[in-house]
Amino acid sequence: MEKRILEFAAVLRNNGIRVSTAETLEGLQAAQLMGLGDRTTFKDALRATLVKRTPDIESFDRLFDTFFTGLGEMIKEIGGAASGGMTEADFHDLLDQLAELIDGLDPELSELARALVMQDTAALERLLREMMESGAVPSVDSPTQMPAAIRAMMDRLGAKGLAEELDRVGEAARESGLSQNTLGQLDEYLKQRLRDLGEVLKGTVKIENEQREKPEERKQDRDRLLDKSFYYLSPTEIKRMREAVSALARKLKNLMSIRRKKMKRGRLDVKGTLRASMEYGGVPFRVRYDDKRKERPQIIILCDISDSVRNVSRFMLQFVHSLQDLYSRVRSYVFVADIAEVSRLFKENDIQTGINEAINGNVVNVYAHSDFGHAFREFHRNHLDVVDSRTTVIILGDARNNYNAANEWVLRDVQQRAKQVIWLNPENRSTWGFGDSEMSKYALYCDMVEECRNLRQLYSVVDRIVLH
Amino acid sequence: MSSASNYASADDVRRRLAEQKYICDQNIATVVYLATQLGKPLLVEGPAGVGKTELAKVIATSLGTELIRMQCYEGLDEAKALYEWEYAKQLLYTQILKDKIGEVTAGTKTLAEAVDRLTAQDDVFFSQRFVLPRPLMQAIQSEERLVLLIDEIDKADAEFEAFLLEILSDFQVTIPELGTIEAKQIPIVVLTSNNAREMSDALKRRCLHLYIDFPDSALEHEIVRLKVPEAEARLTDEVVQLVHRIRALDLKKQPSISETLDWARALVVMNVESLDDEIVKETLAAICKYEGDLRKAEKELAKHLDQKKAAAGGGESTGETPAGDDKDLLH
Repeated sequence: MEKRILEFAAVLRNNGIRVSTAETLEGLQAAQLMGLGDRTTFKDALRATLVKRTPDIESFDRLFDTFFTGLGEMIKEIGGAASGGMTEADFHDLLDQLAELIDGLDPELSELARALVMQDTAALERLLREMMESGAVPSVDSPTQMPAAIRAMMDRLGAKGLAEELDRVGEAARESGLSQNTLGQLDEYLKQRLRDLGEVLKGTVKIENEQREKPEERKQDRDRLLDKSFYYLSPTEIKRMREAVSALARKLKNLMSIRRKKMKRGRLDVKGTLRASMEYGGVPFRVRYDDKRKERPQIIILCDISDSVRNVSRFMLQFVHSLQDLYSRVRSYVFVADIAEVSRLFKENDIQTGINEAINGNVVNVYAHSDFGHAFREFHRNHLDVVDSRTTVIILGDARNNYNAANEWVLRDVQQRAKQVIWLNPENRSTWGFGDSEMSKYALYCDMVEECRNLRQLYSVVDRIVLH
Repeated sequence: MSSASNYASADDVRRRLAEQKYICDQNIATVVYLATQLGKPLLVEGPAGVGKTELAKVIATSLGTELIRMQCYEGLDEAKALYEWEYAKQLLYTQILKDKIGEVTAGTKTLAEAVDRLTAQDDVFFSQRFVLPRPLMQAIQSEERLVLLIDEIDKADAEFEAFLLEILSDFQVTIPELGTIEAKQIPIVVLTSNNAREMSDALKRRCLHLYIDFPDSALEHEIVRLKVPEAEARLTDEVVQLVHRIRALDLKKQPSISETLDWARALVVMNVESLDDEIVKETLAAICKYEGDLRKAEKELAKHLDQKKAAAGGGESTGETPAGDDKDLLH
């Protein structure tokens, strides 16, 4: 059993659940303590010791089932169809007769043939498991490789003579003088079992594949992702990027809480010290300090969600909203030509749904041509009052204005009211100001203009915003 | 170890918790048993109001031990959780020392000798005598085995979590001035978390993990029967069913078990016998705390009543189990 649990821990690891050695040992201890008698108890014990993240519980349950009982269940399920049109009682009679026949055979049937014919799930499972453990189950990446894989496994199981062996069983049956009807059923049954074996092997390959190590995202892979431009992400990379973004957000959050702690001590708090000294007969035994309150920055973020920069906006929104509790307030707006506030969406939904809602085109028309000038004017008219001296305004966009009026005076007004205005441009710096890019006009009224083409740059920008 | 202060098996856990009016499923019982047997802290996660804190309390009462509870919040630090020096006492001590300094140093010839004598006294200054134990320290120092509940650990800062590690893995604390204090016995530690933030892996590794979800309707029915025995079986049935349906809705906050209980109690107080009553609508506030949720719940109630009516219309011929009929409709 010990070996099985260790193997199971490896399977969990292969599927992305982190299991430490200490936890595996605990799992062993727990299994020993609870015994193996009851399957659910055993499962509960392993779950409590090996899985520590709630989202992992689901995959644990699934893996547990396939690992400890998947093989047997699969064999049973496939075997269940073998009885064909017979009633259960008839089928039992048939099996009984078969048992007698097989016992009388000389030379004896191979283990595999016997298990197959007698529907001995346990024996069959043991044979398959031995094969799995010896690493003889080939990995199959595409359905076309399946037949070859099954042939290889058949050889390995010594199934070459299987058809003959089954023929011998049929032969023996005919000699023993069974009724014609039964003989027909028997033949049909034996043929079916031969086909079943193929199915069982196919199932085995599937189970093995599930347990085998997945080509997981490696660390360098993630690093590569950090530097990859937002423009060229494939859909799977977008998915992985999402995880990377939340990992970075978490890292930043932890960092911030340490920094904040360090900054906590402020100036001498005279009143507090005097009050505390009363306790000690007027001796200022404990000196009090003011808490140096660092104002949590308020953030207003304007995201261009036109086709060209939508990905960047997506990650920016995710990043900023994952860090919600570092700021006292985050307000988000999205725009293409029109502008609308989407903060509400993030309050009501989890972050991913919020983002999808915000950029799917229901809030503002995403098929319009980008018009920064128009969006800015709208912002100035309707939302300028949300900007005050504590707000950091972040604008995310490529500043490609389709030769519309730039309306940079809006930014001037905003900058006068705000603590700072930051412009993040997902385009390469060398292309700014060319064509319909109005970056140079807007840049005049920004405190900081940064290129933000990949995750690393996004990270460093957010880091700076929180610090200052 | 005497049987009263320890569980004999997972079933024993279940039985004894039930004696304390806490009904749990096999999974919870197994994990609690493991935690007590392996001497591991137990990290309990799950939605609000499924009885995470309650679990720790009933473990304590069922084992007949003391419960020390530490509520976590932002800004909780060592001084509040572990120990503090009693400055006032120390100050008093210095004053006494000042008075006695003549006596202590009497007969010494050189300054060095006097200082030596004083140093010998100094050790008293930072000693157990002046330590003011806080919950964690109390749990460690206790002579008898007890239950330590660290409630809502997710509310505390990440640094505090790191500080807990020593206690949770080795059951010891280190006071710089005194050295390491080891636990006299291993307390049963229960940590609860609402998942306001993800706990660090280091903390999780040291704990057994238990996720408590909302109970299925059979279990919740049992709980309501036990806790609100004055409610009639039929009413309980209806209440639990409706709560389960409401939980399936897309709500801002799902009704918890304690809220189900509150609602059942409210209905009993109002002398309501079945949910057809007009007054029921007004009591829904017991389970839904947001305006939007309330409206959705009202709609669900109306739907439930309609179905019930339809079932009663068609079910009259089949017999006397209207409650059973309702169930069929639901599943």
